[in-house]
Amino acid sequence: MDLEKFANEKFNGDDYVKHLVKEMVAGSELSEFRKQLTTEKEGVSNLLKKKVFENYSQFIETAREISHLESEMYQLSHLLVDQRNLIEQIKEESLLDDQKNIIGDNTESNDNDQDQNKKALSIIKDALIGYNKSLDEKVFLHEGSLIELDPNDYRPICRSHLFLFNDILIIAKIKHDKKLEFTNEYETKKIAVVNIRELTGVKNAINIITNDGNRIYQTINAAARTEWIEKFEATLKFNQSTSSVPAKSKKGPAPQPPKVLQKQRSSVETQSICSDMTLSPTASIATENLAPEWLISAPEEIQAEIAQRHFEDSLHLIQKCDDYIQKNPSFYNINEIQEKIKNLKTILSSVLLHELSIAECRDLQSVLRSSRRLLKLLVEMGKSRESSTIFLKVCTTTIRTSQRQARRNNLPVSELFFCDLAQVASDFLRAFQKQSACTAALTVWCNDELQYFSQQLIKHYLTKGTNLETVAKVVVSVREPCLELTKIGLDLSSHMEGLWRVTLEQLIDESRHRLIENIGRTEEIWQPYNLISKSNLRVLVKELNAMGIDMNEHVTGDTFINLTQSTVNFCRHFLSVTESCAIIGRNSVLKPDCEKLLRDLFVTQHNIKPSLTQQNVDLNFVAKNKAYTVDVLLEKAISNFEEKSEHKCILLTELKNQLKAPKPKPRNVYNVNV
Amino acid sequence: MSKKPSTGPISLHKVIMVGSGGVGKSALTLQFMYDEFVEDYEPTKADSYRKKVVLDGEEVQIDILDTAGQEDYAAIRDNYFRSGEGFLCVFSITDDESFQATQEFREQILRVKNDENIPFLLVGNKCDLNDKRKVPLSECQARAQQWGGVPYVETSAKTRENVDKVFFDLMREIRSRKTEDSTKASGRAKDKSKRRKLKCTLL
Repeated sequence: MDLEKFANEKFNGDDYVKHLVKEMVAGSELSEFRKQLTTEKEGVSNLLKKKVFENYSQFIETAREISHLESEMYQLSHLLVDQRNLIEQIKEESLLDDQKNIIGDNTESNDNDQDQNKKALSIIKDALIGYNKSLDEKVFLHEGSLIELDPNDYRPICRSHLFLFNDILIIAKIKHDKKLEFTNEYETKKIAVVNIRELTGVKNAINIITNDGNRIYQTINAAARTEWIEKFEATLKFNQSTSSVPAKSKKGPAPQPPKVLQKQRSSVETQSICSDMTLSPTASIATENLAPEWLISAPEEIQAEIAQRHFEDSLHLIQKCDDYIQKNPSFYNINEIQEKIKNLKTILSSVLLHELSIAECRDLQSVLRSSRRLLKLLVEMGKSRESSTIFLKVCTTTIRTSQRQARRNNLPVSELFFCDLAQVASDFLRAFQKQSACTAALTVWCNDELQYFSQQLIKHYLTKGTNLETVAKVVVSVREPCLELTKIGLDLSSHMEGLWRVTLEQLIDESRHRLIENIGRTEEIWQPYNLISKSNLRVLVKELNAMGIDMNEHVTGDTFINLTQSTVNFCRHFLSVTESCAIIGRNSVLKPDCEKLLRDLFVTQHNIKPSLTQQNVDLNFVAKNKAYTVDVLLEKAISNFEEKSEHKCILLTELKNQLKAPKPKPRNVYNVNV
Repeated sequence: MSKKPSTGPISLHKVIMVGSGGVGKSALTLQFMYDEFVEDYEPTKADSYRKKVVLDGEEVQIDILDTAGQEDYAAIRDNYFRSGEGFLCVFSITDDESFQATQEFREQILRVKNDENIPFLLVGNKCDLNDKRKVPLSECQARAQQWGGVPYVETSAKTRENVDKVFFDLMREIRSRKTEDSTKASGRAKDKSKRRKLKCTLL
C-alpha cells in the first residue's frame, strides 16, 4: 500500500475516509481494506518500536562514550597540572642559574669557601633592587622562589624569592621583568617556622611567623619544604652558638655555614664506619652497603607514576622499596630514601583520597565502579578508615540526590533506596572485608541513611490525612525490599519499624476517627437494596464475589438484594479496610491499633438502629442485616486479616464471640450480653 | 597578635599547644583532627593544622599550632606564642617535671601576650594512665586556681576522653574574648586599661 499519502502534510483523515467510501463498492471490500490498514498499522508500530529501541541503544552507547571521554579529559587535566608544575620548577631553576652554580661550588671545596660566600653575597646584592644594607659578614644559607599565600584562606598572593642568611631573612618580590625587588627583612632570631600539615587545604606550605604577622609560603614540593625547614633550624643553631660565644667572632673569620659543618661531620662518620669495616673480617660489605640503583631512582619513578595516574604501579613500587629496606636495614643514606618513600606514600594516599572524594555528582553505579579500584589501593595502604569515611560520604550524597530525582519522577523511591543501600553495603563489605572497625562504620552509616530516608518518606508520603490504603501501599513498598536486604545479612526491618512507628500509629488513629465519623453520615432507610437494573446487580454480585462474599442467596427478584444498601456497601468498605489494616498490622507492634480500628468501625456500624422517627421499619429485616454482618462479614474479615497479616486476630474474634454467643434479639444486642 | 582582622565570613581561632616534650600535644592534636591515636613518638618541630568545626551551631575554623616541647626550641618560643589567641598548656599527669614546667610556659605566654586573661586551659594529659599518676589532682587544681582560675581538664589522647572538650572550651573562650574586645573597642576604653594592668606595672 502506498504509505506516502499518509505522510503528506495535507493528509486529512475525514477526506480520506470519504474518498474510500465513494470508491469502494461493497461493505466486504471496505472491511477487507480495513484489515489491510490494520496490518499496515501493526507493521508500522513494530517498526517504530524497533526504531525507538535502536535509538535508545545508540543513546546508551553515546552516553558511555561520553563518560569515557569525561574520564579521559579528567586524566588529561591532571597530566597538564603536573606538567605545569614541572615547567615552573624548571623555569625557577634557570632563573637563578648562575647564582646556583656558584653556590653549588660553595660546598665543593672548603678552602675557598669564604670567597664563594662573598661571591654569592655580592651576586645577591646585585640582584636585589632596593636593599641598601651591607650583606658582608653574613653567611648565606638558602634561597628559593616561593609562592606567598593569604594566611586566611590560602589563596596565592604573589611570587616571592627568599634569601636566608645566618641572622636575617630577606624577602623579595619577583617582578614581571623577573627582577627581584626587596620587600622585607626579618631577624632570624625573631621569626619561627611552622610546617603546615597537608589535608588542611594547602600543600607543601610553611608558615613564617614574624613580628608583623604570619606569612604563608608554598614550596614546589615536599622535599623543598623540608629543606627550608631544616635551613631555618640551622639559623636557630647559629643563633644559639653565637649567643653562647658572645660577640667574639665578630672580628674573626665569618662563622662557617652549618652545611659545611654537617658535611664534615658526615664524612667523619663515614670514615669511622669504613675504618670499622676494615677491621672486621667482612670488609666487602662496605661496597654492598650502597643501595641498589633501582632503589635510588625509585622515588622519582614513583612520583612519575603518580603523576601519570598509574596508581597500582606506584603502590607496587613503594611496597617493593619498603620490602627491600626491611630486609636490608643498613645501607648508605637509608634514612633519606626512607623519608622520601614515606612522603610519597602520604602523597599517593592523599591523591587517592582526593580522587575518591570527587566522585560526586554522578549516579551510584558509576561512583561505585570508579571507587572500587581506589578503595582497593587505599585498603592496601592501610588507609581503610579514612577511605571508608569518604566513600560513605560520597555514597550519601549520591543516594540522596537520586532519591530526590526519583521522588520528582514518581519512581518507586523505597525500592530504589534499599537497592542502593544493598549495593553500597556489598561494595563496602567487599572492599573492607577484614576491617571490623569499618563494618561498624557501615552499620552506623546504614542507620543514618535509613533515618534520613524514613524522615523523607514520612515527609513526602505519609503526611497527615493520608488514607489507609495509600499508607498500606507505602508500607508494603518499604517492607518488601527491606526484607530483601536480610539476604546479604543486613537486617534493617526492626529499625525501620521503629522509625515510622509513631507516624503510622498516628495515621491509624486518625483514620479510625475519620472512618467512624463517616458511618453515621448517610441515613439508613432499612429497605432492601434496589439496583434498578439486572446488569447492575450482576456487576455488584461479581464484585463482591471477587472479595470472597457470596451474595447470590440474598438476591431476590430481578434487581433486589435482600439486605440494606448500607450493609452491602459496608461489606465492601470493611473488607478493603481490613486488607489495608492487615498489611500494616503485619508488624505486631502496630497490630493492636489496626485491630482496634477494625473493631470500632464494625461496632459503630453494628450499633446503627432505626431511629424513633422512622416508621414502618421491619425489625426482622434489621435483625437480618445485623446477623449477616456478624455471621458472614466478620467471619470473612477475620480470616482475611489472619491470612494477610500472618497473626491471630484477637480483638475481632472476641467481638464475634461476644456478638454471636446468645441468639441476638432484634434490638440492642449489647443489652442482652450484659 | 594578628594584624589583619579576619575578613572572611568564617572566623578563625588560633590555638597553640604548649608543654614539655612528650606530654602528648601532637597526640591530642591528631586525635582532635583525624580521630586517631598515634602510638609512635616523633618529636614535633612545629606543625600547624586547620579544620572547620561547628562551634555551638556556628561554623568556625580552628588553627592549631603544635609546637616543639624540646628545649632546643625554647629560644624561638616567643615567636610562636605571639601568633596565638588561646593556649592549651599540656602536661602529663605521669610526669611531675612536665607539670613543673607549665609554670614557666605560663609565665612566658603572659609575658609575650602581655595579657593576664588570655584564653588558657591547663590540660593534664594521659589520664588513662591513672595508676601511674605522679601529679595529684589537688595539686593541679590548686595551680589552675592560683593562675586566676583557669580551667583545669584531664584528657586522654588515647581514649579521646575530653579531647573535643578542651578544644571547644578554648574556642569558646577565644570567641567570647573576641566579641568582648570588639564591643570594648567600640565602647569605653576604661576596661581595657584594666586588662592591660600587667603592662602598666611593667612600664
